[in-house]
Amino acid sequence: MRKYLTVFRVNWQNSLQYRAPTVIYILGYTLYISVLLFLWTAIYGEGGRMGPYSLSEMMTYYLLQFVINSVVLSYVSWEIIDHIREGFFSHFLVKPINYFAYWFTINLSGKLFETVLILLAAAGIGLVVGPHVAFPSDPRTYATFLVAAGLGLVLAFELEFCIGLIAFWLIQVRVFKYMLQYAVFFFAGTLLPLDLFPRALAEVAARLPFQYLVFVPIQIFLEKRPAPLADFAAAGVWIVAVYLLARWVLARGIVRYEAVGN
Amino acid sequence: MEAISVKGLNKTFDYFKKEPGLKGSLKSLFWRETLYHHAVRDVSFSIEEGELVGFLGPNGAGKTTTLKILSGILYPTSGEVTVLGHVPWKREAAYQRQFSIVMGQKNQLWWDLPARESFALNRDIYEIDRGRYERILGELVEIMGIGHLLDVQVRKLSMGERMKCELIAALLHQPRVLFLDEPTIGLDVVSQENIRAFIEDYNRTQKTTVILTSHYMRDVERLCRRVLVISDGRIIYDGGLADLADRYVDHKIVTLRLGRRVPDDVLARFGRVSEQSGLSVTLEVPKKDLAQTAQALLSALPVEDLSIEEVAIESVIATMFGQRPGDRGEENTTAGAAQPPPVVESDRSVHGAG
Amino acid sequence: MKRSGISAVCAVRRTFRLYGSFLAQNLKNEMVYRANFVLLVGMDLFFMGINVAFFAILYANVTTIGGWTFHQTLILVGSVGLVREAAYLLFRQGFLELGDYVRTGQFDALLVKPIRPNIHLGFRHVSLTESLGEGLMGLALVGYGFAHVGTGWAAIPLYVLMLGVSLVIYYAFCLAINSAVFWIIKSQELNSIVYTFMETARYPRDIYRGLGKAIFTFVIPISLIATVPASVLAGRLDWGLIALAVIVAVGMMSGATVLWNWSLRHYSSASS
Repeated sequence: MRKYLTVFRVNWQNSLQYRAPTVIYILGYTLYISVLLFLWTAIYGEGGRMGPYSLSEMMTYYLLQFVINSVVLSYVSWEIIDHIREGFFSHFLVKPINYFAYWFTINLSGKLFETVLILLAAAGIGLVVGPHVAFPSDPRTYATFLVAAGLGLVLAFELEFCIGLIAFWLIQVRVFKYMLQYAVFFFAGTLLPLDLFPRALAEVAARLPFQYLVFVPIQIFLEKRPAPLADFAAAGVWIVAVYLLARWVLARGIVRYEAVGN
Repeated sequence: MEAISVKGLNKTFDYFKKEPGLKGSLKSLFWRETLYHHAVRDVSFSIEEGELVGFLGPNGAGKTTTLKILSGILYPTSGEVTVLGHVPWKREAAYQRQFSIVMGQKNQLWWDLPARESFALNRDIYEIDRGRYERILGELVEIMGIGHLLDVQVRKLSMGERMKCELIAALLHQPRVLFLDEPTIGLDVVSQENIRAFIEDYNRTQKTTVILTSHYMRDVERLCRRVLVISDGRIIYDGGLADLADRYVDHKIVTLRLGRRVPDDVLARFGRVSEQSGLSVTLEVPKKDLAQTAQALLSALPVEDLSIEEVAIESVIATMFGQRPGDRGEENTTAGAAQPPPVVESDRSVHGAG
Repeated sequence: MKRSGISAVCAVRRTFRLYGSFLAQNLKNEMVYRANFVLLVGMDLFFMGINVAFFAILYANVTTIGGWTFHQTLILVGSVGLVREAAYLLFRQGFLELGDYVRTGQFDALLVKPIRPNIHLGFRHVSLTESLGEGLMGLALVGYGFAHVGTGWAAIPLYVLMLGVSLVIYYAFCLAINSAVFWIIKSQELNSIVYTFMETARYPRDIYRGLGKAIFTFVIPISLIATVPASVLAGRLDWGLIALAVIVAVGMMSGATVLWNWSLRHYSSASS
């Protein structure tokens, strides 16, 4: 366990070296969210309404999406791809460390600084649009929301991990990475709440794992999910399934790596 | 005619101190200490048109920084520089069309395309008219003997072939001044020799002014009559190469592989033992009795392999500092202080996190 | 006067010729990775599709946004695609690579050539494929919206001109943000702001109010990029807005150039 704590600490320090880029990234995302909040205000101001959402629910949805996008979603596959392609993977073959656990730790620690910043930024935006934030009526909702977000974090990481492993076989993984990113953007509910989709698309989205990353946690926060426990169970099944897939892909990848070398 | 004039040149880089540990990282979120690295200090020299001058010194001494300032890549902190009457860092096209810089560790050719394509691009960038371009390219390709490689992807060329192409790309616009930064680094012995021969010939026939930096003594020996030795950002020697070597280096490096262990005191009889690991021994043997010593070694010791090498340029400079510090300053024209000042000076200025 | 006019024409002609050679080089270079081409175009089409889906879902619930109808909004979305495509054909990809150039010291090579380094950088990476799908899709969307709005062909020259003005604003923003690369070295995050800049440009200017409107006009002029050209085609022509866009473009371009040239002094060529 201690080795992962050290990995956590060292990577955290490493990511602090890039604090300026992180600040810049958050600024960019803040810009994006601010524009969307202007958009919703304008739409509701003209007398429009998006499905079952009130203006404050819509504002809250995007404010939470803003936080979840940084805290829950993972972008670690870029590093994994470089790692494998540049031959650093050899170091892992000879060290007593679990590759999955290593990257999970890197993923967590890499987010720490970003999380602090994003919460500050969200609080800042929250102050401006304060009256429009829809807080849960039942305090227990906060706990279920945190559990849901935690499950989302694990699942998001596993998906990224699998994509990164494609680098064992292909040089150009970029396209797959973007595919996952777009799938998340669309089917996780980052772009729009999934229940605003046309029925057929909403059905598809409800059968995919991506909804547990963004949409379901936010719905739980907005108290629009009737049975959070059933959601947890479903997310858990996905987590186990994708974990087994990742193990299998990694094992095949190692065989391939040993055969081809790098 | 004077081609390059440098007076009182200084270049200082600033960077931040990183404190170790978690606490240090946290602290550096809010303030950090600025440190200054004086890469070039009060450097002055003058080079005549057509000269071929070697720039020597250990890594980080300021050779490359000086070349980059002469090329207009870096802005100096202070000082006056003119090359062919131009101030380099104004980056006037009129100057840029008259010089070239080749860096041995950097590649300016397009990796995935044949070199011919990169040449054509330089033709258009430097606005060389077609007729002249074809003629010059033809000449250079012939001298270098790479006609058969023009249509091969650059990534598939060997290091030596690539360096030949880099040189051609740099010479298409017939620069009057050429800066070569480690042009032979990483090349095999044959390629090094080819590049050297080319540079020598080019300088002689074209009367191009050349400044060359290199780690390899042989590059400098073969090519340069005059050398500038730079250390810690200062010029500590400016003069003939022959004088430098005679004055500061009186030995060669003999490397032995022995069949069995030999006591240290026996080895020490032949020269100073500078390195020893297992059965492999490195000796510094005075030049004047090199031949005798080599024979003696072969007959007296169980030698399996023996090689004799020139002292590396870095050692020459180490020797200049370590063994005969008193000699410095007599001969050189520009040296300043007797002791090299420390490379890094700390200047406690506190910066906000912003 | 006349003489400087002639030399300006020469400079422009020379720049065009250079652009031509770089474009040819890049085409050859991209041909080396043909398989990528199809995938990249496909991804672009998919992503544009998502954007259209977003607005289609919005307009399933409302009839206008900031007074813009669905077909007018398609012109907005398409215009962003066209400006982006033009940017990739002129400069954008180079700035994405700038961080690597600075980190490895390759930027040296741009500083010693007789072309401005920012122009050279852009031309060096002129890319046909990076955003081709988006450009084509943009053209289709603008065409479709234009056919439904029906403002007449006479509007097209002014529309193209205003796309050019938007491109200048985009370039200025990109140059200004990337001036920071000499301190920050990593250009990925810097350019994520530039990316967001265009991502947020596709909403009509009319949704902004108060301080936000001022900021999104003069500091981060996202409210002008798509809205000004699109309003020409969408039958919402406003000469005041057009004048504003031209003024902002000139102002930002001058400011960005000064900033960039000043930043170049802080390039501390990595010696590796």
